[in-house]
Amino acid sequence: MTTIKKFKVSFTAVFIIIYITAVFCGCSEDSAHNGSLSKSAVNFIDDDGIEINLDKPAERIISLYSAHTENLYYLGVGNKVIGRYKTCTYPPEAAFVEKFDYNGDPENIIAANPDLVIIRPFIRKKAPEYVKTIENAGIKVVSLYPDKFDKFDDYINKLAYLTGTEERAKKLLSKFHSEIENIKAVTSKISEKETIFFEATETNIRTVTADSMAGLAIEYAGGINIAKEAVPMEKGSSIGEFGEEKVLMNADKIDVYVSQRGSMNSGASKQGISERAGFDTIKAIKNGRFFTINEKLISSPTFRYTKGVKEIARFLYPKEMNDISEYENDNLATRRSFANILFKYKNIPVFVPKSSSYYETEHKGHTFGLFEDIKWYDEDFDSIESIVERGYIESIKENGKEYFYPDNNITRDELAQALFVMGEFSSKNTDLYIEDAYKSKYPNIIYILVENNILELKNFKFEPDSYVSNNDIIKALKSF
Amino acid sequence: MIKKVFIFMSMVLICCSALLCGCADIKDTAGIVETDAETENVENVKTSDKEDENMKKGDPSKKAVLVVSFGTSYNESREKTIGSVEKKIAVALPDYEQRRAFTSQIIIDKIAKRDNEKIDNVTEAMQKLVNEGFGTLIVQPTHVMNGEEYDEMKELTEPFEKNFVSIKYGKPLLTSSDDYADAINAIAKDIPNLTDKSCAVVFMGHGTAHFANASYSALDYRFKAMGFENAFVGTVEGYPDIDKIKKDLAEFKPKKVILVPLMIVAGDHANNDMAGDDEDSWKTQLKKEGYEVECILKGLGEYEGIQNMFVKHCNDALNEAAEE
Repeated sequence: MTTIKKFKVSFTAVFIIIYITAVFCGCSEDSAHNGSLSKSAVNFIDDDGIEINLDKPAERIISLYSAHTENLYYLGVGNKVIGRYKTCTYPPEAAFVEKFDYNGDPENIIAANPDLVIIRPFIRKKAPEYVKTIENAGIKVVSLYPDKFDKFDDYINKLAYLTGTEERAKKLLSKFHSEIENIKAVTSKISEKETIFFEATETNIRTVTADSMAGLAIEYAGGINIAKEAVPMEKGSSIGEFGEEKVLMNADKIDVYVSQRGSMNSGASKQGISERAGFDTIKAIKNGRFFTINEKLISSPTFRYTKGVKEIARFLYPKEMNDISEYENDNLATRRSFANILFKYKNIPVFVPKSSSYYETEHKGHTFGLFEDIKWYDEDFDSIESIVERGYIESIKENGKEYFYPDNNITRDELAQALFVMGEFSSKNTDLYIEDAYKSKYPNIIYILVENNILELKNFKFEPDSYVSNNDIIKALKSF
Repeated sequence: MIKKVFIFMSMVLICCSALLCGCADIKDTAGIVETDAETENVENVKTSDKEDENMKKGDPSKKAVLVVSFGTSYNESREKTIGSVEKKIAVALPDYEQRRAFTSQIIIDKIAKRDNEKIDNVTEAMQKLVNEGFGTLIVQPTHVMNGEEYDEMKELTEPFEKNFVSIKYGKPLLTSSDDYADAINAIAKDIPNLTDKSCAVVFMGHGTAHFANASYSALDYRFKAMGFENAFVGTVEGYPDIDKIKKDLAEFKPKKVILVPLMIVAGDHANNDMAGDDEDSWKTQLKKEGYEVECILKGLGEYEGIQNMFVKHCNDALNEAAEE
């Protein structure tokens, strides 16, 4: 045994002795497990059946579940999160908080001196000794997990009680539900409903049960779930059996095929799915309506769930869900309006990093979520991030930091580059001559786009530095 | 100190019991108590083990060829590439029973879980061959170069070498100087753009921290020496990288860029890092620079000439064995 380990064991032993002595002497202030009747600010039963009493909102929180972490940031107490589990990488700033692992040494948590550790029942089941050691050190442990969607509000309210953010929770929940209602309002008006198959796992082509969060998202998004009757794999499971045979039996009915990506499923890729025997007969695959969705958007109990519902609705009803009428004007386009128009017009999927180790590797271009001027709570965060991640518009790097500059205008040269990247254009080898092509960063692009009648010249000039309007962008997009 | 005394006393007791009973299993006790006093016994056991192992050598008339690949979970690509190489080897070596092994445990596990299909890793495949009494073996990797994957494969096969009367290794694709020329000829046959000097053909290799990474530059050099000035070889994870490729292209000024995977299988790297829609894919990066880009999603394993090279390497190993 190493010296450090010996020290830790000794330290734990001494700590436990002191703690027990304290309890027996009747001088403990802890009341989490003995059902103290002392008046507390917080009092509820957590999802491990333990009565929770806190005298004051927590100030130093360690969250060992990604949904808790995310929701704490939404509740505005991200600055009180001093520790997280490795998968907690949203919001992006959470990814830079110190990591703790319930498969590791509980002494690390004790040493960080939190006043609250939030877990979920799975963790207590998987690592009971780990949790016990933390509790024995006098640290409050609360276990929460809403296993059904209708428990979401109650779960958020408990997080709010723990952090003294009840008012904010109330507003957020109201916004959350009205966003879902708004999506329902749009899709309910659509008379011809689209049919969807949602692949939860590539293994045995399993789906989600109708009452799971993803199953409900399909319902809210106005889709007809071809696998609605799927039977849960076991009682309470959100995954249901379906299978390749049934998928192929319904090949001509499936308008949209969605594959969930995440820790449970690496997710089928466009190529992977087309290589499965018989899958090229599925209507959705034939029509290029195969999509992937990150499980964090659709199957995790967070406020981001509304984005997942919206995403499914965009897959199903791109025209109705991507209304760009507000941009049909001659105002000079900004980088923000440009991102929104492209995102909606091209029905670009919301970008979500594929791996929780995303921030551990260096990204050559843009790093998701790290714009100094577009934070995760910006209303256009998804459209801007997704467009930049597609390479349609550049991130601006200054002194090692990234900026988007949302209010800057868009030049014809920038528009040309974006159009060229998103389309498939070939040179027509004409004898076209553009007088000011040399002013463009990439003259080849403007030659090809003009040859293909995507952008026009004015008196043999392209004017790459002049600004474009929102209507100019829409017109160009409509031309291919 | 207490521990030492305890071990010593235990040892004395065990030895006494063994002597008194006259039936002690020395091998077991030697395994439990590791002291200098018992080194001799351990050595004796090792010697007798070696004799046993020598006895276990397989029947030289039972011949097998083990084709070792990194693997891919894309079923169709797998059959088009690795499967095609295996088929050709099977035709070329009719007296050899063919076995397949993958080196990527992640891919093995994925296929097992998804398709309920069991593919052996190298150790499992070797163990099976030993258990089934094969005495002649050729191990043919489908690796591009003599890199990390190849070294790891050798580390895994070496412990079993003693169980075969003859074991020979076929070389990876790019080993000898001639291999480079043969590979270029095989590729050029199927990519007509290589003769169109208005196009640049950019090959995307994997890249490695292993010193074999130099093979990529060697291949680039050889392309040019053979008259294909428009061929450029880069890597995802090594050098030359995409920045170097961009510099080369800026000098070459092609009208169009053809991207081709320099990997046996056109899998994730080819589909995402090369031809994906994200800003960091090679396709997007080059389009942003104003190049018309076309992607050929075809793994090296699909080129007939490349398949024939693996067969040739396998035959070389066979001839080497025959000469002994």
